[in-house]
Amino acid sequence: MNKTEDQYYIEAVRKGNVQAFSYLVEKYQKLVYTLALKLLKRPEDAEELAQDTFIKAYQKLDTYEGKSKFSTWLYSITYNAGISELRKRRIDFKSLEDQRFSDQDEMKMHDYYSETKKEDQEKYLNLALGKLPEDDQVLVTLYYYENQSMDDISEITGLTVSNIKVKIHRARKKMYSLLHEMLNEEIYSLL
Amino acid sequence: MNKLDKQFEEMMKGIKIDSPSSDFTFKVMSRIQAEAAVQRPHLLLDYKPVISKKAWIILIAAFILIMIYITVSGKDSSAAGDSSFWSTVSNSLNPLKSREVSSIWQKGMGVFSSIPPIAYMILLATLALWTLDSYLQQFRHNHSKA
Repeated sequence: MNKTEDQYYIEAVRKGNVQAFSYLVEKYQKLVYTLALKLLKRPEDAEELAQDTFIKAYQKLDTYEGKSKFSTWLYSITYNAGISELRKRRIDFKSLEDQRFSDQDEMKMHDYYSETKKEDQEKYLNLALGKLPEDDQVLVTLYYYENQSMDDISEITGLTVSNIKVKIHRARKKMYSLLHEMLNEEIYSLL
Repeated sequence: MNKLDKQFEEMMKGIKIDSPSSDFTFKVMSRIQAEAAVQRPHLLLDYKPVISKKAWIILIAAFILIMIYITVSGKDSSAAGDSSFWSTVSNSLNPLKSREVSSIWQKGMGVFSSIPPIAYMILLATLALWTLDSYLQQFRHNHSKA
């Protein structure tokens, strides 16, 4: 993330150059949309939420003080809007239980996973991620894919850092466990 | 990040990141442009009068000087403009007035008839500009209160 570059375009928008905002839309649209899709599932709803996120960001641009990264601020708008939409739909998040998967099992599973074909890896990884509760999918994506720090994720979600650590740890174990099941199923189907 | 986290991060780099529709930026920017258009009246808050007070003083002084010049230089030729509009008006009103009033009236009409039409046009344009200027200032004042 280039904070200075973002800041340059933010300043341009604040000075009245509306078109400069398209740079920020182009840069962050994929991840904003991905987070929205993880929460709402339906592509049409996710697209609408992603659009609303950018409109809200534009309207509130004067309140962005630049203390955190622009992406952190933007993702927090997406996350909060998505969560309130899910609350309207009365969808409760199931919290993951501690998995019996040990650290050694994780290592073995990782080696096993690395030996599978690239296209299968992507398929199973997306399937496993999709089976996590919506909010955990967001945490995992932000932490492992987007490399956001625990503090940034805490700012985005409003959860405490210790809570995020526990959630991410459980989510990782759950994903390995799901991958284990899926890859085993495939071996059995081949036999 | 511990080793397990690192190897999971490697794995996660392989996930497919989703993309919105191809015209996503266009859709967002259209909505933002519409939003900005609604906000545009606020630009009037920064409105500054087209003609400054100083310029108004110069314009009025110049106008008065022109009027004085025309009045002074046009005294002798005031009777010459028989066929002008002002003379026609003056003649049509003649029977209604006494001799003295008629004399003053004729003098006055004579002065006006000697003013070239361009001077009236300038006066009209200045008044129109002043009206618009006052209206915009009033508009800005109301918006800043709101």
